[in-house]
Amino acid sequence: MSEGVVTVRTRKFLTNRLMQRKQMVVDVLHPGRATIPKTEIREKLAKMYKTTPDVVFVFGFRTQFGGGKTTGFGLIYDTLDFAKKMEPNYRLARHGLYEKKKPSRKQRKERKNRQKKVRGVKKTKVSAGKK
Amino acid sequence: MADDQVIAQDLPKAMDVLNDIKTQADSVTGHVKDLLKKVKDGEISTAKGISFLESKYQLLLSYLINLTYVMLKKVEGGSIRGDPAVTRIVEIRTYLEKMRPIDHKLKYQVDKLVKMAAMGELSENDPLRFKPNPDNLTSKLAESSDESEASDDEKDTGKPKVYVPPKLAPVHYDEDTPVQRQQKKEEQARKRALRSSLIRELKEAHSDAPQEIRDSVGFRRSVETQDDRHQREYEEDYFVRLAVSKKQKRKQSMGMVSTLNQITKFGDTSALFGGEGGASSSKKRKRSSKKGKKGAKKGFKKRRK
Repeated sequence: MSEGVVTVRTRKFLTNRLMQRKQMVVDVLHPGRATIPKTEIREKLAKMYKTTPDVVFVFGFRTQFGGGKTTGFGLIYDTLDFAKKMEPNYRLARHGLYEKKKPSRKQRKERKNRQKKVRGVKKTKVSAGKK
Repeated sequence: MADDQVIAQDLPKAMDVLNDIKTQADSVTGHVKDLLKKVKDGEISTAKGISFLESKYQLLLSYLINLTYVMLKKVEGGSIRGDPAVTRIVEIRTYLEKMRPIDHKLKYQVDKLVKMAAMGELSENDPLRFKPNPDNLTSKLAESSDESEASDDEKDTGKPKVYVPPKLAPVHYDEDTPVQRQQKKEEQARKRALRSSLIRELKEAHSDAPQEIRDSVGFRRSVETQDDRHQREYEEDYFVRLAVSKKQKRKQSMGMVSTLNQITKFGDTSALFGGEGGASSSKKRKRSSKKGKKGAKKGFKKRRK
């Protein structure tokens, strides 16, 4: 049952030229509804700041006790390239821009055992020489 | 043929070298014959020499003998592979190599002896006569003190030094007898009872002072809200979410529930009215310790511990 209108307000707005982005604290008021999903909030923010939603990154949403109000953080980058450079990989993964490639479990264990035989900086070179 | 040409070139050189060898060998044999004659006549005595040097020239001689044998065999056209003479040569060579550093060390002694033999006995003041005297290093003056110190050190270094705490006069510990503990408990329970809501209401009803109505949540609650505000401000400034420890979570959840429970609890006033030691819940309100965080979260500190 979704009743009530969702209001998105921003506080503590700051233009961060060093990281080529705008950062703000996002307050979402949603009486009678569960916590709004991040995608919806991204779209609303994009409309507010007249950008595309793919450069908008939001995270850290915590709903107040009793419901109705959620507070989180939002970043709006100038371009997607800057976003890819600045954002941590897990947040890019949430947008589908990054895939963490993980070798199979067996491979990881074998690498670990090969590394055990070597001390120091040579550990990083061990995996390269797979015999 | 190439071989003939090479032979033709080398032939005169070889002839020269061979003639050279012949003349030198003649002169050497002459010299040796003279020396032998002198030794046989007793002009030069070979007794009482340095045994090291004697062994050295014996080795050299045998080396030369073996070498000439090998050369003879080679010249006749025989093979020297696996010949025992070759092994002997190698052996003697190793000995000579090992003797070389000893030779170097003995150089001083040998020179001295040679000089002595050449020039007769050396005078008393000759510096060559002096050898190192370790006795000169010890001082002959403070002998007695040195000895006593030496004996002390021996005794102490025998056993490893065990730490012995300083001997202070022990004092009797007067506090914390069961009677005193009971008294303290009673004192605390009385104080708590005085603070309870029942007593306070009675006080208000019977006092002449004007009644204060405060919309206060209590001192502890106000402290908590200040902390919450501090945390919230930190989070918004640094764009991080701080981790909430299990204790904090439990406290939060308990905080929500307990406000309803307190309605029917009026506080334990048995201490004032002569009740016998109710189960005093020792309220140990420990402030949660610092949280362990990474990165930006590390800067956050609890205002109050």
